[in-house]
Amino acid sequence: MSYYGNSVYNNPGYHDSDTLQIDRSPPRKSVHSNPHGNPYPRDQEAGAVQTGRSDNQTLPGGGLASYDDAQTRVPWGGWQEESWRGRDSIPIGLLSPRPESPHWQQDINQESHYDKSPLVQPPSTTTDHVSTRFRGSRRMSLFPVGEAALGNLGFSEDHIRNEMEMEEENVIKELVAMSTTDRIKAIRDLPMSFNDKKHVRGQVLVFKSFKKSRRRNCFADCSETFQLSFRRCGAHMMLARQTLDLWQGTMKEIGGTFGTGVLSYFKFLKWLLMFNVFSFLVNFGFITIPQLSYDPTPAVPTGVKFTGLEILTGSGYFSHTVMYYGGYSNETRGSEGRPRYNMQLAYFFTIAAYMVLCGAALVYSMARSFRKRFVQADPATGSAWQLLCSWDFSVTNERAVRQRRNNLRIQLKESLSDKVRVALLPLSDRLKHYAVFLGTWILSTGVAVGCASGIYFLCQFEKGSADESTGSLLDEASTLLLPFVVSLVNLVIPLFYSLFRKIEQYPNPRMQVYAIILRNVILKMSILGILCYYWMKNVAERSLCWESAVGQSLYRLVVVDFLFLMLGSFFGEFLSNVVGTKCIQSLGVPEFDIARNVLDLIYAQTLAWIGIYFSPLLPVIQMIKFFALFYLKKVSITRNCQPPRRAGRAAQMQTIFIAILFFPSFVGALSMLAYTVWTLPPSDGCGPFRGLDTTFSAVQVWIAYLDGVSGAHWIVWIYRHVIRSEIFYFLITIIILVFIYIFWQIIKGRKLLISLLRQQIANEGKDKAFLLEKLQDVQKSKQNKQRKKRPTRNRPEDETSPGLLQALLARQRLEEEDASAAYNSFGVSVPSERTMSTTSSAVMQALIARQQAGSQAGSYRGVPFTAEPPVPSSTSALIQAMQARQKAESQAEDGFHRTPAPSQNPVNALPGAMIQAMQARQRAELEELDRSEPERPVSSTSGVIMQARQRAELEEEFYRTPASSQVPDNTGPGSALIQAMLARRQIEDEYVDEY
Amino acid sequence: MGTTASQLGKDLLSEYQELTFLTKQEILLAHKRFSELLAKEERSLPSPRVPMEKILSLPELKSNPFKKRICHVFSTSDPKDGSLTFEDFLDLLSAFSDSATLEIKSHYAFRIFDFDDDGTLDGRDLEKLVNCLTGETEDTRLTSEEMRQLIGNILEESDIDKDGTVNLSEFQHVISRSPDFVSSFKIVL
Repeated sequence: MSYYGNSVYNNPGYHDSDTLQIDRSPPRKSVHSNPHGNPYPRDQEAGAVQTGRSDNQTLPGGGLASYDDAQTRVPWGGWQEESWRGRDSIPIGLLSPRPESPHWQQDINQESHYDKSPLVQPPSTTTDHVSTRFRGSRRMSLFPVGEAALGNLGFSEDHIRNEMEMEEENVIKELVAMSTTDRIKAIRDLPMSFNDKKHVRGQVLVFKSFKKSRRRNCFADCSETFQLSFRRCGAHMMLARQTLDLWQGTMKEIGGTFGTGVLSYFKFLKWLLMFNVFSFLVNFGFITIPQLSYDPTPAVPTGVKFTGLEILTGSGYFSHTVMYYGGYSNETRGSEGRPRYNMQLAYFFTIAAYMVLCGAALVYSMARSFRKRFVQADPATGSAWQLLCSWDFSVTNERAVRQRRNNLRIQLKESLSDKVRVALLPLSDRLKHYAVFLGTWILSTGVAVGCASGIYFLCQFEKGSADESTGSLLDEASTLLLPFVVSLVNLVIPLFYSLFRKIEQYPNPRMQVYAIILRNVILKMSILGILCYYWMKNVAERSLCWESAVGQSLYRLVVVDFLFLMLGSFFGEFLSNVVGTKCIQSLGVPEFDIARNVLDLIYAQTLAWIGIYFSPLLPVIQMIKFFALFYLKKVSITRNCQPPRRAGRAAQMQTIFIAILFFPSFVGALSMLAYTVWTLPPSDGCGPFRGLDTTFSAVQVWIAYLDGVSGAHWIVWIYRHVIRSEIFYFLITIIILVFIYIFWQIIKGRKLLISLLRQQIANEGKDKAFLLEKLQDVQKSKQNKQRKKRPTRNRPEDETSPGLLQALLARQRLEEEDASAAYNSFGVSVPSERTMSTTSSAVMQALIARQQAGSQAGSYRGVPFTAEPPVPSSTSALIQAMQARQKAESQAEDGFHRTPAPSQNPVNALPGAMIQAMQARQRAELEELDRSEPERPVSSTSGVIMQARQRAELEEEFYRTPASSQVPDNTGPGSALIQAMLARRQIEDEYVDEY
Repeated sequence: MGTTASQLGKDLLSEYQELTFLTKQEILLAHKRFSELLAKEERSLPSPRVPMEKILSLPELKSNPFKKRICHVFSTSDPKDGSLTFEDFLDLLSAFSDSATLEIKSHYAFRIFDFDDDGTLDGRDLEKLVNCLTGETEDTRLTSEEMRQLIGNILEESDIDKDGTVNLSEFQHVISRSPDFVSSFKIVL
């Protein structure tokens, strides 16, 4: 390809303006080798060019040989080929029908052959080079078979085998140079069949062992053994991880029936479950176990018994256990002299570490999926491809496949109609739409605010009633009112929001989904926000052990939310399924609403994060909840639901969900915790921080204590100079901003580069198309020639483009008629005189003839050649013209033998353009040589020829313009170029001939 | 499980592990499933081939619209009849596994979509592809006008060098921009 690009670029006549500056840079491998390592490089054009070249070089017989023949006989006959060759390789034999070989395997070998060309591969030793070479060579080693088909390409088999061996050697050398893990990865990444990989690996190993046997030492052996065992260990770990992978079979089943979109919900659920498992392990290990080990029995006041209602309310018996903040002591455990366990610090740092780790994990996964799914997913391109590529190969259920096909078809049709529909709406309609948007947004936000304030007043009311409570069972149950209302709001309002779908009309369905998600997030977060506000403001001031009280509220919320999720599955999915299938058929089977379900999960997780400080063992409840939810949803979905109609964009939705989980949810929970820790006074009566001003002062006390301990100064230093210093944060911020700016600039530069490269690719594509067209022209004329090989002998004109050919033929025929007419009427006459007198009329006639040649060549049939047998089935003017000329020529040649003035014939041919003159002259010379009849004085012949040439030059100038404008198949700028080349060539030939 | 492990041999197994993206368990499972497809007497042959029809009877492939193409692409048999050896089968599973790279996946996807094996996705390939995805029957396929428009859109999106076909690098470019591809180009035994 590159070879090709260069040759074109070197040609100033073609690339004039729109080739980029990048084009002119010296050949770089980054341009030449496909960045994707194109291992299946079936660039037809490149292969074809190569094929053509090889044909040209090696085919000993056949069309090309005769072509070369013609070239030697007729000096200008090979103008095209020669001039092209002069520039670079020229594909003459393009697209020659080769039924046994158009297998791509050849092309691969061709391609790699290409890669080896010096132009493409400037010697370089950079690692980059190695990798690209490696990729390039991969193409070759990809398909080491298929040499049999190559024979007729002109490469000898040995040649190709050598090439391939060299390539393979290169690959192996590069592989040997790599480290073991890299090598395994690289070999695995080769897109070739297993046996080929095995072969490469075997070669590498042989090479390696050979090398090793030469320099053997103990250290290398040891490190080798160590590496090997390390790798084995890693493989075992992988295996163990995979074995422990939860719900693998279930996941596969769900993916097989409902596709990746629904599967992503379950993956998300699993991911959150992992968060909670981790959180539970950390909290249980560092907080609860130390507490229990010193104080195994909970300090439950007498009279409080486990009634069973606690599981729902979380209060009562539970409120005195390690379930909540209040159950932990503030003591420093352990006797003097031994390392001691400070419960305050343990409590603080465990939760801080967990939150930091959660944040890091969230940021990491968010950044990763954002990069993968948003930045790379170009919104401008790929709607149709995105649909086509989203086909789920994992779907195995026959019914699901049919459903998916239907959905895909509808989506494809929609994507087609979307393009048409854009911007057709009149202004009034658009205004109406905007009004509807405004109305729905105001309504939804109003509903959210209303719900939040309602919940706030409910809290106030509940507190009032709680003050008068007597501790009865009923009072305890009444605490469930608030979580019940909150969960009910969370269940009902989203359904209400989804009704908006009916009246709103978004330009595309994705916008609609985003709008629904945004509204739900606003609702949920405003409810949680108001609850947090209530806890911070009211509960924190009044309650005796307010942290435990908040923990209980959160516990209730979590549990009741779980119940509502179950109810939601039952009502939302089971009941609507029953209704849809039994009662109202038009509703149909409900779809699994991924967005709503994921938002429920996010809400639940937010509760768990908020609650982790107030109730360290809340993750246990959350774990149980998610675990049960997984099976519940699985059963519900397989029984009741059908896969969502819009499967596309599942990956982007996943990113959005992670982002929502991070931004309002995690960040909100974190800020609430931070507020609690830094500013709120912990309750005096219970918990690890009793007696302190704020929770954070535990750390301050610790630092003050450390100040006196030798060997711990660095912690103090870090605390003073890093954590509590403004300059540090200021510097960090500055550095981050600088990095952001740098990256922003890089992005800008890359965008520019991408657009330039795109343009360059388009230009090179144009080059390719242009050359292909030329080649096809040549090919066509070659085929024509082959078809008429016998009747026309080897005419050099046949190699010219058909347009030119046609014009020339018409002209030539006219001349021949003229010649024969002159012949018949005058018999023996002074040749030069005769020609002189006919030229001007011949010009006129040629012009007319050319015009007619295209349309009504048939009319000529009868005029000069009435005696000739009629041309059978004259389908095209071209064929007819060819045949007519043939006849005229044979007649003329007959005349040669009869008449004593053979030199007339070339002269008669003169009134045509230069080409004709040249050909005629050539023929005359040949004939002279052939017959070698010494009667005619050579000098007179050559004199005539000289005259003829001069005339022809004049003629040519006269003809040039009309001739080129008459060419019917003028193929853009290219044919102009070729004609210019032709003209130059002719003039050069003239010079050569004359001197 | 134990019997299949002994059938495969430790060296062979580790070689398979090294050269494919599959784990030991997956390879063993694949071997088990593959052996089930073979007749009793074939199992003792050095490298038995399973004809395409039998491979297609696997539930994982049965309803796949590209099942025949998949077999043809991964088959290394000399007359291209789509029959698979165990190694071909592993290749198939490896390319469709979770851990295969995007490059491998897109490479094979391109070959699967390239119905006439000519190295580029031209209009006819794309038409076949769309028909495969939407269903072949008369009432499910797109009308010729829609098809023309769709193929026009596809080429406009992806044919960067404007030569009327989508070649591998253009295809890989498109693929790298459709994030759903990696997760959906997957077959798990």
